[in-house]
Amino acid sequence: MVTIKSDTDSEPVQVEIFPSRFLSPETTQKLLNEIYKSGGIVRMMIQGPNLPRTVTYGPGKGLPIEEHRNLLVEVGGEVLELRVKVGRIRLELEGEEFLPGIQAACERALPFGFQIKRGKFFREISTISDYAKYGKDADKRILGLVDPRAKKESALAILSEKDSDEKEER
Amino acid sequence: MAYTPQYYPGNTSVGANRRKHMSGNLEKLRDIPEADVVAIMGHRAPGADYPSTHPPLKEMGEPDCPIRQLVEPTPGAAAGDRVRYSQFTDSMYFAPSIPYWRSYWAAINCRGADPGTLSGRQIIEARERDIEAYTKKLMDSEMTDVSRCSMRGCTVHGHSLRLEENGMMFDMLARTEMGADGNVYYVKNQVGIPLDKKINVGKPMSEEELKKRTTIFRYDNISFGGKVGARKFDEALEALHHMWELRTKWGFRPE
Repeated sequence: MVTIKSDTDSEPVQVEIFPSRFLSPETTQKLLNEIYKSGGIVRMMIQGPNLPRTVTYGPGKGLPIEEHRNLLVEVGGEVLELRVKVGRIRLELEGEEFLPGIQAACERALPFGFQIKRGKFFREISTISDYAKYGKDADKRILGLVDPRAKKESALAILSEKDSDEKEER
Repeated sequence: MAYTPQYYPGNTSVGANRRKHMSGNLEKLRDIPEADVVAIMGHRAPGADYPSTHPPLKEMGEPDCPIRQLVEPTPGAAAGDRVRYSQFTDSMYFAPSIPYWRSYWAAINCRGADPGTLSGRQIIEARERDIEAYTKKLMDSEMTDVSRCSMRGCTVHGHSLRLEENGMMFDMLARTEMGADGNVYYVKNQVGIPLDKKINVGKPMSEEELKKRTTIFRYDNISFGGKVGARKFDEALEALHHMWELRTKWGFRPE
């Protein structure tokens, strides 16, 4: 997706979408695509409780959890595998003018209530973990997207290299 | 005059439900076959013999003890069963019971049981055939709603998380699922080991029914106190504030 920048030099804004229920993969796909279509996205992070592939504890330790395998969502022509139960979505938008579009996208995609909060959700300063992970000249847009222990390759998806402005974390 | 225990004060439906849970005077809402309860618990195969840790008490020749003569052993203790457990997680979204009330129920109504209360889950330990009977009572009664309560021996969290889209409490191990027919099915036992067959535990309660049967004070149903959705303080809250005040003052000035 090519995002057209507005003529005015508006400041990027960060928002968090907080649905009142956890999203199924189908609703997640619908919502992410609606958000994606509404435009103006610099980066996006989805977050929620982990969906382990195997039982992690107890007498059944190591048994596969088939229900959590192959939870695929397609966003912007790229297929991503969900590894969390989607509970919140954090976005950085190019400017305030894209906010109504996000609100409308949520209203279209979510059959239940949600909150949209404005705030500061991504860090700007590289931490020691970031330095160890990404090196000295890390792209600042990556900061705060991925859990420090997660592998960048599997947790981060770059959806549009063209403008280098679409990133998504799972 | 016969003594009637007074379990819990208050005129709200939550107070009344709490009294019901403590007294054990519970409505039976469903009848889950015993074999299914045993399969969900996962300690022994349904129909298998009970493994034992000691010979039956009658064969053991117990020492001469007035307490042993006074207290009749539970069936599990008399047979020498192992101690086993069942553990439930209850959603904060209007689950009928909550850990403290499960423990009150067990401590008051179940002989030979060891209830353990944690923030979002509750475990009861007892001799195997006793715990099976207690668990069946729990699952059949109004203390359980099949979408907001589930038996979870490990990886228990879900209590304080948002619900899934279909109204089920989130389960990291996917032990229960909502069927296309609107019934809830256990597909795994309480520790996440797949069952041989899906176990139908019936339909979940409606939101209105849950709000009617819950023992949880919540601002969006019946508030405990506070400013949001405030109600007139009832006896329970007055008593609690009184206790809190005296305890705090005593704590600061012990004379």
